[in-house]
Amino acid sequence: MSGADERRVSSLRELSPAIEPARDLWPQIEARINAERSTAAPPRPARARAVPPRWLAAAAVVASVAVGVWIGRSLLPAARPGAQSPINPSRATFADAPTALDVAYVPDPRYQRDRAALMKTLQARLAALPPPARAKVMASLAAIQGAKQDLQNALGKDPGNALLQELLVNTYQDEMRVLTDVHEASDPGRGI
Amino acid sequence: MGFSRLAAAITVLFASAAACASGDRTFERQVPAQAHGVVDISNVSGTVVVTGWDRPEVSVRAALDEGVERVDVSTDHGRTTVKVVLPHHGHGGDADLHVQVPKDSELTVSAVSADVATAGVTGVQRLNTVSGDITAELGGSDLELKSVSGNVKLKGHGQPARLHVSTVSGDVHLEHGAGDVEAGTVSGTLVVSLDSARSVRARSTSGDVHFEGKLVRGADFDATSVSGDLNVRASAESGYAYEISTFSGDISNCFNATPSERGHMPGHTLQGTRGDGAGHMHLKTMSGDVQLCDRK
Repeated sequence: MSGADERRVSSLRELSPAIEPARDLWPQIEARINAERSTAAPPRPARARAVPPRWLAAAAVVASVAVGVWIGRSLLPAARPGAQSPINPSRATFADAPTALDVAYVPDPRYQRDRAALMKTLQARLAALPPPARAKVMASLAAIQGAKQDLQNALGKDPGNALLQELLVNTYQDEMRVLTDVHEASDPGRGI
Repeated sequence: MGFSRLAAAITVLFASAAACASGDRTFERQVPAQAHGVVDISNVSGTVVVTGWDRPEVSVRAALDEGVERVDVSTDHGRTTVKVVLPHHGHGGDADLHVQVPKDSELTVSAVSADVATAGVTGVQRLNTVSGDITAELGGSDLELKSVSGNVKLKGHGQPARLHVSTVSGDVHLEHGAGDVEAGTVSGTLVVSLDSARSVRARSTSGDVHFEGKLVRGADFDATSVSGDLNVRASAESGYAYEISTFSGDISNCFNATPSERGHMPGHTLQGTRGDGAGHMHLKTMSGDVQLCDRK
């Protein structure tokens, strides 16, 4: 400030409420911004939108379930060499035995396909067995069905129970073994 | 002498006449075989009895019903095949086979309703039936045995081997086995007695499992059942860590350990260590009861 403009201010009210800049700076600012945009690298993709907390929570739950299922399955005893595991983790219910069960398991498509093929010929295969063997096999298949039903009911009460999950996997494998054995046993000239 | 020959001829004549009258025929054949060769035998109905001997040949003797067409015996590159052939039409009939094989042979028997028995065979055995019972003597080599509804009876001499036994509804009885055992059934009962076990895998759906025996150091024992009971009496010099879990069954033991509940969820568990805990024991059921004792 020059000495001519110098004066004493005794109150804030004496100050001007707005002071206009000596010159308009905005055109220069705008021009500079435009110049920088034209020389800058291609624009980066927009950052992902912030994820709402409830989706984070849901994702955490799904991840926890998946890890739990993985741990449960990884602790299972090894299946027979060549035996296919009939179960895949998934958010669905049993296709062949709908119950109130809400467990993150469903027989995998290959298992379902193989089982359907064996079931299709089961009656004919059973008919080819000696009558005493046929009756015993049918009783065993009924036992397997009962076991599956019992396990599914129990899992309905305690869906996260690793023991029940393991036993259910075992039972599915046993059912497939029986179906395969019956198929081979009634195959003329082949035997089991 | 002349009288003896005449008597023998008359005896043979009457025996043949009796066999023809009943429709039965006999069959005999011997073929050379390798000491460690392969012998495959198949029969639909009747019996199959196989014994091991020291001769390098396979001997087949058979009694055949009229419904049996013939018995084929062939040998090729160390593999001897014995096959009972039934006619294409008709109900077929029984064939009772008695086959003697070199004792170190690798033996495979496939039968439908025929009962199968083996003794004195020290090579690998694979025995399969649908409804026929199986009785086998373990000879120290691996055994793979499968039956749908037939019962299985095995007797060993404490020599370690790998045993793989599965049935659908047949019961399994194993005595004096040793080594690695894998046994599974749906509704049959498993009764297993092992002189020294390195690993045991037993699985059942509704059948009970009874085990009695001694585990070697570091042995693994794993038994699961859905509704069948598990009764295990297993001793081990170096002990084992045990883990028992059941959803709705009861757990009992002979060493006064107390099972714990799974919080507010149904089910019981019991875990701990006996001795040095070198081995591992896992027993699991859904509704079956579990009994564990570390004494035979």
